Amino acid sequence: MNEIFDGFVQAFQLIISLDPEILEITARSLLISLAATGVASLVAIPLGGLIHFREFGGKRGLITIIQTLYALPTVVAGLFVFLILSRAGPLGFLGLLFTPVGMVIGQAVLIIPVLVGMTLVALSGVKKAISDEVQALGATSSQAIWTILKEARFALFGGIILGFGRAISEVGAAMIIGGNIRGSTRVLTTAIALETSMGNVAFSIALGIILLCIAMVVTAALFLIQER
Amino acid sequence: MIVFDHVDKRFGEREILKDLSFQVERGEIFTLIGPSGSGKTTILRMIAMIENPSSGVITIMGKDTRAPENERVMLRRRMGMVFQKPVALRGNVFDNVALGLRFRGFPGPEISRRVSEALDRVGLPGYGERDAQTLSGGELQRVAIARVLATRPEILLLDEPTANLDPVATELIEDLIISHNEENRTTIVLSTHDMIQGQRLATRIAVVLNGQICQIGDPHQIFYQPGNRDVARMVGMDNRLPGTIVENEGGFARVDVSGVHVFATCPYPPGMHVTLSLRPEDIWLSTGSGEGKSSARNILAGTISRMTSLGPNVRVTVTVDHGVPFIAVVTRRSVDDLSLCQGTTVQVSFKASAVHVTRADTEKNAQ
Amino acid sequence: MERKNPAPGVLCLSIALVTALLLAGCTGPIQGGSPANQVPPGGQNPSAGPKDRLLVATTTSLSDTGLLDYLERIFENNYAIDLQVTSQGTGKAIEIAKRGDCDLLVVHSPAQEEDFMEAGHGINRRCFAYNYFIVAGPADDPAGIRGMEPKEAFRTIIGKGKSGTPGVFFVSRGDNSGTHNAEKNIWNATGYNYTSEVRRSGAWYIEAGRGMGETLQLASEKGAYTLTDEGTFLTYRGRLDLVPLIDKGDILLNIYSVITVYTEDHPVEKITMANNFVNFLISPEIQAAIGEYGREKYGKGLFTPMSGGCLRFGCDCTTPASATRPSLSFT
Repeated sequence: MNEIFDGFVQAFQLIISLDPEILEITARSLLISLAATGVASLVAIPLGGLIHFREFGGKRGLITIIQTLYALPTVVAGLFVFLILSRAGPLGFLGLLFTPVGMVIGQAVLIIPVLVGMTLVALSGVKKAISDEVQALGATSSQAIWTILKEARFALFGGIILGFGRAISEVGAAMIIGGNIRGSTRVLTTAIALETSMGNVAFSIALGIILLCIAMVVTAALFLIQER
Repeated sequence: MIVFDHVDKRFGEREILKDLSFQVERGEIFTLIGPSGSGKTTILRMIAMIENPSSGVITIMGKDTRAPENERVMLRRRMGMVFQKPVALRGNVFDNVALGLRFRGFPGPEISRRVSEALDRVGLPGYGERDAQTLSGGELQRVAIARVLATRPEILLLDEPTANLDPVATELIEDLIISHNEENRTTIVLSTHDMIQGQRLATRIAVVLNGQICQIGDPHQIFYQPGNRDVARMVGMDNRLPGTIVENEGGFARVDVSGVHVFATCPYPPGMHVTLSLRPEDIWLSTGSGEGKSSARNILAGTISRMTSLGPNVRVTVTVDHGVPFIAVVTRRSVDDLSLCQGTTVQVSFKASAVHVTRADTEKNAQ
Repeated sequence: MERKNPAPGVLCLSIALVTALLLAGCTGPIQGGSPANQVPPGGQNPSAGPKDRLLVATTTSLSDTGLLDYLERIFENNYAIDLQVTSQGTGKAIEIAKRGDCDLLVVHSPAQEEDFMEAGHGINRRCFAYNYFIVAGPADDPAGIRGMEPKEAFRTIIGKGKSGTPGVFFVSRGDNSGTHNAEKNIWNATGYNYTSEVRRSGAWYIEAGRGMGETLQLASEKGAYTLTDEGTFLTYRGRLDLVPLIDKGDILLNIYSVITVYTEDHPVEKITMANNFVNFLISPEIQAAIGEYGREKYGKGLFTPMSGGCLRFGCDCTTPASATRPSLSFT
C-alpha cells in the first residue's frame, strides 16, 4: 500500500514540477495517438460507408472478420507492421521502423477495425427514411454517404474516442514498432513498461495518471467539438 | 410525363403491385386513392426512383428509368417527393430546407433566397434558425414540403401530404398544391386516403386497391360512376345493393333488390345481375306525405334502425321492406326539424339518375 | 449561408492538421530530448537540416544499467549524430540486426555473436567491457551454496531442488537472452543436458520469460536463486531481498561486445558512422569513463573496461574499426 501511496505523491510532484522528460513523453504520446486516430478515421470511415452502402457477396463474412479484428492483439498488429516496415520488408525502403511515423501506422492498423465496425454501427443507426429522403432530394451517392455520415456523427465520435483510447493505451505495437527509444519513440505506455521493469513504481504510477488525464482531456475536447 | 408500362413490384415473395399501366400528363394533379397498404406509396417511391420495378418499364419525362445512376440522379433532381412521415436531419430548419439545393450546388445567396421563399410559402416564415428536431409533426410536414418546393421540381410527389396536419394547415397546403400547379404547371402526383381531398384537388383520380389500379377517371367519374363495388365502397358510396334488372325501357330500368323495386338509369337488359351504388348525400328523408313535392322516382317507406353522428351531419340507416338498408346523410337541423330518432317511420326518396348501376359480373376485375 | 456545421469533417481536418504537425515534429523539437545540440570544438560540425540517426539495438540487461544513456550523451556531444537506443531481448535485438533494421548491436552472448558474424550480418566486432555474472539468492541460503565454485553450486541447487528441499528455487530468464545463454552454458558444463534434465524438471525451476530486472524482482519475491549480470544486480540491489552468493569463477565471465551491422543495402555512410561509435567505445577516454560508471552511486564500477587487455579473453578490443564490408578472410 505504501508504494502505491508514494506513487501518487511522486506522481503529483512530477506533474506539478512539469518535468521536461515527462512533458516530452506526454506530448509525443498525444501526437502519435491523435495522428493514428486521424489516419485511421480517414481510412475507416469511408471504408465503413462503402461497406454499409454497397451490396456485395461476402458482406456478412467481411463484417464478421472486422468484428473479430476488434480483438486483434496489439502485439500481433505490431509484429505485422514491424515485418512490413522492416528494412527487409516490402516498405523497408521508407525507413519508418523505430520512428514515430511507424508507430502512427502501427496504431492506425490496430484501431482501423474498431473504427470501421463503429462506423457500421453508427450508420445502421440512421433510419432508412433518412437515406430515402436524401436520395429523393437528388443526392449523388457520395453526397448521400456524406450526408448520412453527418447524421451519424454522434455515434461516429463515440467510435473515434474508442479508437483513440485503444491507441494511446496500447503498449505492444508501440514497443515493437517504436522500440521505446528515449527522445524519439518513448511514449507513456512503453515508458510505464520500462519503469515498471526497472522497479520505479512511483514513476510508473505518475505516467499512468498522466495517461488517464490525457484520455479524459481528449475525450472532453472531442465532445466539445461535437456539441458545437 | 410519367408512363408506367406493365409494372410489377415484388418484395421477395410478396407481390405489392401487379401489372400497372397508366400515364400522368404534364401539368395535371394525379391523385392515388386507396386504403393503406394498397400500394400507393410504392407507386410514388418508384416514380421517385427510390424503388425499382421488378418488371415492366417506367418512363419519366421521356427517359427510361433504367438509366445509369448518374442520369438517374439528374432525373431525380427534376422531381421532388414529400414523404408521408418526413424526417428532419440534424441541424436547423434552414439546413434542412437547403439540403436539396446544396446537393445541386447552388450558390449561397441563391440558397438563402429560395429557402426563405419556400418557408414563407408553407407558412413558416422566420423558422430558419429553429432546431429541426424540435418541430411538431405538422411543422415538420411543412418543412418537408418547403424542402422540396425550394428545388422547384417539375414533378411533385406527395405521399399523404396532409395526414399529420390540422384543418387550418391542411387548407394551407391544399391551396399551396393547387396554386403551385396552376402557376408553374407542375405535374403533381399525390396519394391520399381522404376522398374529399381527392375530389377537391385532383384533375384525375386513380383508385388503388390490393396493388392494382381499379379505375382511373376524373373525380366525377370516380365518385358518381365507380367502376365496381370495391371502388364504390372506397369512394364513399355507402349504399351498395345487389339486384337484378326486371325491365328496361329506353335506359330507364326497374331493378329488384331483395324484393324491393328501385328505379335507375342504365343500359343493361332485364335479367342481368347488377350492383346499385348510391351516395348517402343523394337520399332525402321525409316524414308524413310530402311525396308530391319531390321529383324523385324512388320513394320507399321504412323505419330508422340506426343513427350515427358525423359532426354537423347525421348518418341515418333506414330499413325498408324485406330488411333492405338505405343509408342517408342529413343535417342535424333536419334531424331536429323532423324529430327523427330510432324507430321513427320515414320515407326514403332518391332520383333514378342518382343510382349508379354496374354489372355484377365485372365486379372482380373491372378496370 | 455557411454556418456551424459540426461534422466528422471538422474532426478529420483537425486530425489531419495534427498529423501534419506530428510529421513535422518527427524531425523537429520532439526529438530534442537529449542535450546534444551543442557540438564542442573538435567535434564534427553538424550539417544543416535534420541530424542523421544511428540506431543501436541492445539487450535489456545492458540498457537497464543506464550505461548506454550515459555514453549516448557523450557521443552526441562529439558527433553530429542522433544516437538512438532500443533495448530488446538479446534474441530480438539480433533479429532486428539481421534484418538490417538497426546500425549497431551491443550484446553479451558470445556464441550467438559468433553465429551472427559467420552469417555475414556484422563487421568490426569489438569487445569493450566485461563483468561477472553472479549467482544471487536469499540471505538465508537454503541450499547452502555460499562460497562454492559455480558448477558445484549449480549441481547443489539442482540436486536439492529436484529432491524437494523446502525453499530451494531457481528463477531463469528463460528468454534466450545473453544471460540465459550463460546459464545454459553453466548447466551444460556441469554435466546436465539443459533441455532434457533441467527445464521442466520440477517446480523448483522457474522460467520467467522476462527481462533481467523483472526476473530479479521475481526471484526476490519467491526467495529464489538466480543468475544475473553484475551491472543489473547492482542497479536493482536496493529494491531486492537478494544477496550475491557467488561472484568468482571464469565460467561467470560476462563480456560485452559491439558489432557494426552489415547488410548489402546498408549505406556506406551509416556503416562508417557506426564504426565511429565502435571506435568511440574502445577509445581510451571512453574506456576510462566506462570504468567509472556507477562507482559514485554503487561504490564500485558496474563494468570493467577492456582497456586493451583483452587477449586473455580471446577477443579484439584494440583494432580500429575501419572495414565497411565483411572481408572474406574475416570470420
